[in-house]
Amino acid sequence: MERNAQHAFDAEEVMAYLDGELEARRAAALAAHLVSCSECQEVAQGFRALSERMLSFEVERPSVGMNETMLAALNSSNSLKKTVPSGSEQNKPWNWRRMFARPYVWAFAGLAVVALIFYASIPNLLTAHKAAELAVQRATGLSAPLEDRQAFSATTFKTPTEPSGTDAIVGGAAPEPASPASGDELKAPENVGPMIVQTASLNILAANYNEASTAIEKLAAVHGGYVEKLGASAQTGNARALSATLRIPTKQLDGFLADVRKLGHVEREDRENEQVSDQYVDLQARLKSARATEQRLIELLGTRTGKLQDVLEAERELARIRGEIESMQGQSALLVHRVNYATVQVNLNEEYRQVLGSGTVSTGTKIRNALVEGFTNLEEGAVALLVFVFAVGPSLLFWVAILLAPGWFVWKRFRVRARG
Amino acid sequence: MALFMNSDDQLILEFQQGAREAFVELFERYREPIYGFFRRRLEHPARAEELAQECFLALLQNVQRYEPRASFRSYLYGIAIHMVAAERRKSGREVAENEKLDSRAVEGNAAENSDAGIWVRNALGHLEQSEREILMLREYEQLSYGEIAAVLRMPVNTVRSRLFRARAALKNQLLPVK
Repeated sequence: MERNAQHAFDAEEVMAYLDGELEARRAAALAAHLVSCSECQEVAQGFRALSERMLSFEVERPSVGMNETMLAALNSSNSLKKTVPSGSEQNKPWNWRRMFARPYVWAFAGLAVVALIFYASIPNLLTAHKAAELAVQRATGLSAPLEDRQAFSATTFKTPTEPSGTDAIVGGAAPEPASPASGDELKAPENVGPMIVQTASLNILAANYNEASTAIEKLAAVHGGYVEKLGASAQTGNARALSATLRIPTKQLDGFLADVRKLGHVEREDRENEQVSDQYVDLQARLKSARATEQRLIELLGTRTGKLQDVLEAERELARIRGEIESMQGQSALLVHRVNYATVQVNLNEEYRQVLGSGTVSTGTKIRNALVEGFTNLEEGAVALLVFVFAVGPSLLFWVAILLAPGWFVWKRFRVRARG
Repeated sequence: MALFMNSDDQLILEFQQGAREAFVELFERYREPIYGFFRRRLEHPARAEELAQECFLALLQNVQRYEPRASFRSYLYGIAIHMVAAERRKSGREVAENEKLDSRAVEGNAAENSDAGIWVRNALGHLEQSEREILMLREYEQLSYGEIAAVLRMPVNTVRSRLFRARAALKNQLLPVK
């Protein structure tokens, strides 16, 4: 079948011509050429002979049963969409090889694996979510009513609300503390009952800030308390805020808090009761023993005579004991004061209304600030993206590899099958 | 019968609309060719008949998904090719296909085949699989180059060149060299 390269038509074209697959113009040219070219005639004859020869590979006719089976299948398919299971392969109850060769089986298996992973991780997520909820409830004091929690000093959580450093401290403006009578203070309030130090904290959003801020001081005075610390901040373009630490007589606490709540919307309220009976009792016992020691030393110094050194030593000891006694008395007084006077932290915030044109910042500065902020955001965003990629990338790659490998395998098989 | 005037592609579309006689007509037209297709490629006549039936059943079941992208013939033979490939994989004797083509001519239904037919079988068995498939689709199923390309999912030019190679190889085996 080797052909001369100089020849106008090659053998493949002759073959295509005989198969009726040559384009019309080329076919006409080849037909004309064939009349005169004996070489091409020979080639054409070769192809024809081969086709004839191949036809000798005959097969018998199919059996008549095939017709009947097919017509039965056609009739049994009431709806054409319905599948008609028939034939030997479909009648087989289960064929693992066929099943695993199907792409959708693999896809389904992949989905199932993903679902399983989710299912396994959901309980953990729920637990974390519940814990977070519980923490929030505890922190906001929603888990138990205030009245109940007064009895449980240990279960409440204190939330420190300290005035920020930027606030202008206007302590000087605060009214002079109503100095408690020192004689009362040293006495324990009720020796029979437990000694409890009460602390309360309130965040209040007031519609009328001026009225509320003056009312706080007045209320403290009315209830026999005093202002311990007062801070206020008023920045341009921001709501004003007042932070006050008040000391209110314990018996007046509930009444005072009720009055303060009327000043505005209570955003948050915390109360904490600390049991200090054991501290107090311990302090008193130590005080008593120190006083006894003091008394004995005084007696010793008065009655006994001895070396000067001994006398000096006894006096030193007496001075030390007296110092201790005073310190313990001070501690005791402080403790009693804390028990008698509850600490109330009030944070008053103004319900801010934006005022048009109130800004003191020029447009240029605003644009510059916006630009700086924009660049900062860009930088932070890029960093966050990098952090995300590094944090999640490896595991993502891992899962993609795990899930893609079977997918690739299925695709490969599918392609191979499609090609036959 | 008006159906005789219709092309295969029209018939399958009519069957898609619910005309049963269209399927009967298609079945009548392709019953023997499809059987012949499987018979020439498989060892046992009974298995060939089963697969031919399954091929028509597959057509019946999936008719709603049929889209007239290529010719109906290439669609039908596409199903058949797919089934033969599955059958060969299943029997796990694809590698030994050539030897089988040789041997079955002798032990199979030699009575039905002339000596020339046995020679042709042997010669086909020695061809490379893809070339053999193209040649058989052309010679026995009478598919055009375009239809073969659609069935085997390869370019038409590849079909033409491989067909030429297959014919050249077969000619060398079957026809006396002058």
